[in-house]
Amino acid sequence: MSDMHDRIIFENVSKFYGEVLGVNRISLTIPPGITTLVGPNGSGKTTLMNLMTGLVQPSSGSISVTGLSASNATDFFRSVGYCTQFDSFPRGITGWQFIFDSLMLFGMSKSDAFRLTLEALDRVQLRDAAGRQIAGYSKGMRQKIRLAQAIAHHPRVLVLDEPLNGLDPMARAESIALFEELGRQGMHLVISSHILDEVDRISDRVVLITGGYLIAEGNIHQVRQEVRDKPMQVLIRCDRPELLASKMFAVNHCVEARLHADGKGVFLRTGDVDQFYSLLNGIAIEGQVKIEAVAPADDDANAIYQYLIGSDGSAS
Amino acid sequence: MSVFEHNYRAYTGKVTPLWKRIYVLARYGCAEAWSSKITIGLVTISLLPFVVFLVLIYIANNPIARMLIFKGGAEGFAIDARFFLTMLQVQSWFALALTSWVAPRLISYDLADNALPILLSHPISRLGYVSGKFGALFIFLSVVTWVPCLALFAYQSYSSPQPWVANNLPIAGGLLAGAVIWIAFLSILGLALSSWVKWRVVATGTIFAAVFVPAGVGAIVSAILRTRWGSLLNIPMMMSLLWQRLLGAPEIFRSRNSIPTTAIVIMLGLACLLCAAMLNARIRAREVVRG
Repeated sequence: MSDMHDRIIFENVSKFYGEVLGVNRISLTIPPGITTLVGPNGSGKTTLMNLMTGLVQPSSGSISVTGLSASNATDFFRSVGYCTQFDSFPRGITGWQFIFDSLMLFGMSKSDAFRLTLEALDRVQLRDAAGRQIAGYSKGMRQKIRLAQAIAHHPRVLVLDEPLNGLDPMARAESIALFEELGRQGMHLVISSHILDEVDRISDRVVLITGGYLIAEGNIHQVRQEVRDKPMQVLIRCDRPELLASKMFAVNHCVEARLHADGKGVFLRTGDVDQFYSLLNGIAIEGQVKIEAVAPADDDANAIYQYLIGSDGSAS
Repeated sequence: MSVFEHNYRAYTGKVTPLWKRIYVLARYGCAEAWSSKITIGLVTISLLPFVVFLVLIYIANNPIARMLIFKGGAEGFAIDARFFLTMLQVQSWFALALTSWVAPRLISYDLADNALPILLSHPISRLGYVSGKFGALFIFLSVVTWVPCLALFAYQSYSSPQPWVANNLPIAGGLLAGAVIWIAFLSILGLALSSWVKWRVVATGTIFAAVFVPAGVGAIVSAILRTRWGSLLNIPMMMSLLWQRLLGAPEIFRSRNSIPTTAIVIMLGLACLLCAAMLNARIRAREVVRG
């Protein structure tokens, strides 16, 4: 299978709603696995998802979703599953009808639709409530039925807009397990989320976007390493943190040291990770400080978000 | 980082043709509309004139009944183009009432519930979506317009002596064409206005207003400018003229108020284009909040 048929590709894509900017000059390639879109409200995440799902057409540029474009509607929409952010259900229908009719709209035969409806309801553990009207569902159940609708037709690309909102911890864990399973199986999952801890946990890669512009994309660790103007923070667990800090400060690239609350470790901030680790190796070999563990302390989605977008949502 | 197993299999079964997918939406729409008791009541009331006209046809074709009821003074009472024109006119008002009730249920709810992104993320275009809703409304309006009209025509054909059918067959064609034009126009008008007014009650009022307000404006224009062209804004009058000509019935308006069929067709076409533009502007997968 060629790369193009296994990737979601945005080529210089812009979307304007009249004078309002949706996204601007986005070039992006998304491989299979879980990709999380991260950005503040109004940053263009939903526009990016709508472009991916063919719901809106780009003002310029081109989009290929596993080799398909939205102009080939039947194949394209069958390849994409979309779980929207809002409570959006045709009125008065039951969970079963919602999934079954959705599958019929995808062009399934009645027998296939019946089988796939059962399968989807089982996957989100909603079979027992399938006969009830969605209007009577709890927020978590609504989220689940939306997810079931998105995965029921076995899409190759699953686009999920804030899929963890409103779920209790148990349902959240079940959903994450399902996402991870689908991602492992080679499906494309594109998820937008504000819950950065979960982004860390489930994402193979992140796409940071703000103001309609792409800020960064890739594996979280790779992205962090690319942010060279923000010294990296490393937590070193050792028996003599003060000595270690003083030795580290002997070099220029170490800019900050902070003792861990329990006194058995030190947070060090460095502008040159390679040199830092090289120096740390030397210290460990000398044996003056007994090092127990070394781990990046700001190598996560939250830190990247803060560094690249900032708490006010404006890219720094 | 995931270890990709690449064992996920997308669905590769057969896909039904587009019309079947549109049919799902039409079925959805019918079920939605039919779920209201008011819809059932309206349809029932709409069919009451059918019973009255049925009885009239029976009487007209039964010499004993004619004699008993009219006592020999019913020479002017005949089942002809004028009779069916009256039937079509009566049913058309019920069709308007039904449109004003059903159309907002088909579109306004989807817009208010933000259901369009989900529906349009299926292999069904905006045109397909509108066609499905249009189909649902068209089916409902058919039940109260051309279906009863043609049923009465068939009954009259059965009840009357053979030459009646041969001589009056164009009436059936006129009934079908006239009713289809009217309900197609009502359907697109109802859907277009409902797509712009999320509040269903207001949408119902707007549909009535769209028929009667221009008629009033047209009458004012005609009176002030002493022209007959103001009638082009009077939809009921235009349709009556069109039906009268399609059925071959005698003139029902004074000749100074008459307008050419071409002008009526052009006016209806323009109105439909305007409605299509309104639908095109509103039926979108996402609403853009400007500002």
